[in-house]
Amino acid sequence: MTDNQHNYISKASLASPYFPTWCPGCGNFGVWTAFKNALSELQIPEEQVVIVYGVGCSGNMADFNRVYGFHALHGRAIPNAVAIKLANHRLKVVVVAGDGDTYGEGLNHFISAMRGNHDITLLVHDNQVYGLTTGQTAPTTEKGTKTKSTPFGAPEIQINPIGLALTCDATYIARGFAGDIRHLTSLIKQAILHEGFSLVDMFQPCFTFNKHNTYHYFKERVYNLQEQGFTADNKVAAWEKTYEHDKLPIGLFYQDPHSVAFHKTLSQLDEKMLIEHSIETIAMEKAVSAFR
Amino acid sequence: MQMINSNPQSINWKVAGRAGEGIDVTGIMFGKLCMRHGMNVFAYREYPSLIRGGHNTHQVHASFDPKTSQQKHIDLLIALNEEGISLHKNELNEHSVVFCEAKQDGYDIAKYQDTGATFYDIPMTNMSREETGHFLAQNVVSLGASAWLMGLDIEILKAVIHDAFHDKGETIIEANHRAMQRGYDYAKEHCKPIKETFAKKENNQILLTGNHAVAMGAISAGVQYFSAYPMTPTSEILSSLAAQQVNYNLVVKHAEDEISAINQAIGASYAGARAMTASATGGYALMVEATSLAGVMETPLVICVGQRPGPATGLPTWTCQSDLQFIINAGHGEVPRVVLTPGSVQEHFELTRLAFYLAEKYQLVVFVLSDKYGLESYETMPRPADEYHNQRYGLIEEALPSDDSYRRFVVTEEGYSPRSIPGQAHGLSVTNSYEHDEFGYATEDAQMTKTMNEKRHRKIKGVATEVPQPILIGPAEADITLVGWGSTRLVLEEVVRQASTVGKSVNCIHIPCAWPFPVESFTKLARTAKKLIMVEGNLNGQMESVIKQETDMKFADHIRRYDGRPFYAEEILETL
Repeated sequence: MTDNQHNYISKASLASPYFPTWCPGCGNFGVWTAFKNALSELQIPEEQVVIVYGVGCSGNMADFNRVYGFHALHGRAIPNAVAIKLANHRLKVVVVAGDGDTYGEGLNHFISAMRGNHDITLLVHDNQVYGLTTGQTAPTTEKGTKTKSTPFGAPEIQINPIGLALTCDATYIARGFAGDIRHLTSLIKQAILHEGFSLVDMFQPCFTFNKHNTYHYFKERVYNLQEQGFTADNKVAAWEKTYEHDKLPIGLFYQDPHSVAFHKTLSQLDEKMLIEHSIETIAMEKAVSAFR
Repeated sequence: MQMINSNPQSINWKVAGRAGEGIDVTGIMFGKLCMRHGMNVFAYREYPSLIRGGHNTHQVHASFDPKTSQQKHIDLLIALNEEGISLHKNELNEHSVVFCEAKQDGYDIAKYQDTGATFYDIPMTNMSREETGHFLAQNVVSLGASAWLMGLDIEILKAVIHDAFHDKGETIIEANHRAMQRGYDYAKEHCKPIKETFAKKENNQILLTGNHAVAMGAISAGVQYFSAYPMTPTSEILSSLAAQQVNYNLVVKHAEDEISAINQAIGASYAGARAMTASATGGYALMVEATSLAGVMETPLVICVGQRPGPATGLPTWTCQSDLQFIINAGHGEVPRVVLTPGSVQEHFELTRLAFYLAEKYQLVVFVLSDKYGLESYETMPRPADEYHNQRYGLIEEALPSDDSYRRFVVTEEGYSPRSIPGQAHGLSVTNSYEHDEFGYATEDAQMTKTMNEKRHRKIKGVATEVPQPILIGPAEADITLVGWGSTRLVLEEVVRQASTVGKSVNCIHIPCAWPFPVESFTKLARTAKKLIMVEGNLNGQMESVIKQETDMKFADHIRRYDGRPFYAEEILETL
């Protein structure tokens, strides 16, 4: 029996035959739940979403979601996602990656995707440690933290993802916490609906390899920006918020209401998606006339 | 070295001067002038890796007979500075003519008299200033003078100049026409022609580089997504395709780096677009990991790689063939691939077109491996067809089963499996960089790992029947059989032609596909050869090793070059 009926994403449709291999209590579970909630609530046909995964504990989610999934190389999910969107801009394209993936190995891609305002959503599992390789320093590890690869303390100042995104003119910049699933769900939904590049950096405790940035640590520190009346329309105000360390703001830092996504700037994509154009007959005159 | 004397049937013309003086533009116009007479043209360019001030040359070899490479001896040299003579002294003889501006540039022609060449000190710069108000049209003055000396039609040159400055407006075109006429009239008054007036024959050729041909081949095959990072010698593919975005349904992305470029191409291809990337071998080195990704994901991908001398940054603007073994083996894990090695400009067009077909049908990586000499030299080729028709392969037209039983990586005899693309209902699957099962879910199962490796490698059996086979050029039987691959073809063809004029019996075998190596057809051609000599542009004999490994055949001798320069037919002929 065949048909072309759309099945809309639901929690049931998302279920793959595999159950997560994450450690019990891993922050990935909270992120995963919020992400599935967001996709289900958005009522998207299941074939219209592509999730591109990086490599790490977070990327292992590839086997746990029944979607069009693309499990990329470590650090390289963003360029794959950017081109998937340009090839078929009707798709919702979401990148699920880690802090090592995004702020370490693939930093150049992260910056370029923001500068181009490519319409993809980037969900960064920010656990401030390398989990899948069993506990080395990450770009987000606090300076001085002892890890397997930095037994005398991490020598670099940790990266400021939100500040970096502001500098690169990202058009949707938010931070969530795996321990606040309802809030994170809402941030992810808004991010997916945003037309242009969206970043959701997510505090995600790693039970096994990060004994410092625990649930307890975050629960004591995080506060909701919007509950404090913060309006996300001012980059300078947002910038100041990225330097709060005693208390950790979560929520929407900045959104550009005038965002124009990269694919909207390409006239060859005005009428149709790139892959909808037939290549059956190609007329050569325009390409070869200059060579005569 | 023995030189071929000035041949009334052919033209050897060279312009040399500082970078930034429009050397290439001049060369292209002269090449087109010859082509529009109906001649075949080959043009070789040399330049250092900088923008202004370095020594640039553009050398046109044209004739009604086939011409596929440059020749040492020059009929007419346009020397826009003294280096234009001093660096090319040994390319001149008593049949050569040199146009120069010795008086203005402050040097004495007398010191170059021992070349035997005829020198004309022509105030090209002043004539340019008088006609156009600017010194820059000195090259157009030289073209006018060249037309007289070479017996070429000034009206055709006028049209070539018109077309070259077409988008700059009538005033610029007229100024350049005046500069051209001034050069022509001056030469008519002061210089003796060195060629009979050339006839004009109908032909329907175009003059372009290997890079242009790769871009045109890609367009003919319906390329939809091209991402690259600029690097000599393949930057011209990026600029050619970028300019065509207004004419074709094509997205061209100058990516932030080569790693992004290839990963974008893989992403676009995964989503259903025909996709390609290109780089020099150094830039390709950054793409190696993703080559492996495309392999395990069974995502079609065309990669054009341009060789230039390494290691590392090496000689950025010179040529070599030193990356064959690298490309055949690039990618961790065992990645099935095809490596096409075009020689002529026409082959660059045809094999790039073929690459898209093979990549999509067999869902694998297809390389178009060339080099600076093949990619940046100009050559005439027959104008491509007005229209090309393309079929799609491996995509699923009918609705997929609604019970979601579709398996993207179903194990098949031919090795490739029907491919759903995002947006297609009931085609959901994981496209995985990890080893995976038929649905795409990651697996570490021993049997599945073995099965999937074997599945992917079965594609090679099929694709081997569709790759271009070695060809024999020249007489069916000869005392010496030269073997080459890629751009060496251009020179070997010239060797075969010249050999017959000096009474030597030479033919050659050109290998247009290095991998999978065409064992049977190569052996068939080579086993009866009296004396096999391998000619290639590297130190270690990389293709020779491949041939030994695949066929167990031995070569009597080899000729190798690895100084960044192309082979010259005369030099090869001398050693035989």
